[in-house]
Amino acid sequence: MTSAPVSAPVSAASAVPAGAGLPPRKPGGIHRRDRTIGLLAVLPAFIIVVGFMAFPVAFALFISFTKTNGLTYQWRWFDNYIALLNDPIVHQVFLNNLKFLISVPLVIFIALIVSVLLFERVRGWKYFRVIFFLPNVLSVAVIGIMFRNAFGYYGGVNQALGLFGIEPIQFFTNGSTAIAIIIIALVWAGFGYQSLLLLAGLTAINPAVFEAAAIDGAGWWKRLWYITLPNIRRVLGFVFIINVLYTFSSLFGFIFVMTAGGPGFDTTTIDYLVYLRAFSSTNLGSGAALAVILFLFIGVLTLIQNRVFKLGEED
Amino acid sequence: MAEEETVVSKRISSNRAQWPIFTVLVLVAATIVYPLYFVVITSLRPNADYLQNPFGLPGEWTWDNYVRLADSYGIGQAFLNSLFVSTVSVAFVLLFASLAGYALAKLPVPGTKFITATFVSVMLIPGPVLIIPIYLMLARLELVGSYTGLIVVYVASGLPFATFFLTLSFRGIPDEVIEAARIDGAGFFRIMWSIVTPMGSSGLATLAVLQFLGVWNELIFAFILIPEQSMRLLTPQLASIGERFLTDQPLVSAGLFITASVPLILLAFASKYIMQGLQVGVSR
Repeated sequence: MTSAPVSAPVSAASAVPAGAGLPPRKPGGIHRRDRTIGLLAVLPAFIIVVGFMAFPVAFALFISFTKTNGLTYQWRWFDNYIALLNDPIVHQVFLNNLKFLISVPLVIFIALIVSVLLFERVRGWKYFRVIFFLPNVLSVAVIGIMFRNAFGYYGGVNQALGLFGIEPIQFFTNGSTAIAIIIIALVWAGFGYQSLLLLAGLTAINPAVFEAAAIDGAGWWKRLWYITLPNIRRVLGFVFIINVLYTFSSLFGFIFVMTAGGPGFDTTTIDYLVYLRAFSSTNLGSGAALAVILFLFIGVLTLIQNRVFKLGEED
Repeated sequence: MAEEETVVSKRISSNRAQWPIFTVLVLVAATIVYPLYFVVITSLRPNADYLQNPFGLPGEWTWDNYVRLADSYGIGQAFLNSLFVSTVSVAFVLLFASLAGYALAKLPVPGTKFITATFVSVMLIPGPVLIIPIYLMLARLELVGSYTGLIVVYVASGLPFATFFLTLSFRGIPDEVIEAARIDGAGFFRIMWSIVTPMGSSGLATLAVLQFLGVWNELIFAFILIPEQSMRLLTPQLASIGERFLTDQPLVSAGLFITASVPLILLAFASKYIMQGLQVGVSR
């Protein structure tokens, strides 16, 4: 304590955290020192995040207004955007994304059933919870290749069909069946986590409501329809939005390992097209413009989500 | 927790017919477990044996697929590369995020609102948006093809959530404890090390597991930023093996199991922490 009065103001003035080991004296000094130390502690994380997350987004915006091969940049205003809007491949790819939206009601429906069943807390429900969460710890590379294998020419599904005398089916040479299989993989990978999200919503319902309904003689189905579902509509909305966001921004891994976007562009999604444009075309600006459009689209969806949530909290 | 227990007992005592529910849950669980079981069993048999009877138990058990992957396709090296990159990334994320998290939770940081808003909005950036700019930036810095560049990207993309998460969990540390330590003369680093780290250990462990899984499983940036074959991480290596050996399911299955093994082990031993992380994900 004796040496503190001398060195504390010095370290505060020079803003070096080495002085942090010394106890501060004056109240005003404490506050200023704490502010400095706090700022210095936040700074490394903040600089990295701004430098490698926020700045790249701004950079992508810049690239999207240029024609570039990554070395020289020619400013072209909205040329890339106009070209994209008139590009038939972009239209097809956007439609593909819409097709993938079929996975959303499927995954929510299954997740809802599973969560309602888990909520009954049958024996071993905690173990079921871990099992249902299992696909979430696996890489999309693992899940994607597993499903491609399973539905491949020599895969388990064709082998099983063979047992019934059915000829092997080439699932991945046809756009529709390929999309169907990617959707199956999406549902498999997603329903467990989402059922746990819904379960958390169910757990938050006041149990007295159920008891009151049971006393009034409401059966299991009636309670499900009139109490359970209305009470988790916020969580349902949340799950719905994250699914939609996921369909537009995170299918890359599945497409990459399962179909590489083919046949043709039949299974290419917007995020995969960004990658294709980035690494197999001479104009990176086009890819960047597509990425910016995707970002705006997702931003709008997120804003809508926030708005819905704010409204939901009021009632 | 106590509240949850009472709810449990109430629901069980309501004495519904539990068997149908249990059966359906077992069936659903089987749809998750069976494909994984199939992968493991397939990886332990020769291709000819698989083609003959894919659904039965192997007529011949063998480690051959694993040996071939290690000898000819460098899966062992890729495994170690992934382990290295994941560990280093997680270490840096934990370091920077706990510094920032403690400051945001307990210190009067100027511009807290702005900093938090930056972290939160950055969390919304979809990965594909970053592909082109990150690649060009790292190419300019001559970091494409080095682990440094990849690790920086993983740390940067992990930090927003990590900081947010640790800010929340460090807020739970009572102010009195920190104040008492200060009066005893403990400085910033002393407090971080002797109070914040041990008292926030559960949050730190949860975060470490989640971040490790995220980095281990990442595919796009690992593929784009490391073009050199011998430096490949596990997920891109698996993707290329899966692409080349369509006709050899047992070989690919072995690769799948190697890649999935670490996350599965983590889930088995750290499911408590993973489930805790899930709760935060819900409240977000």
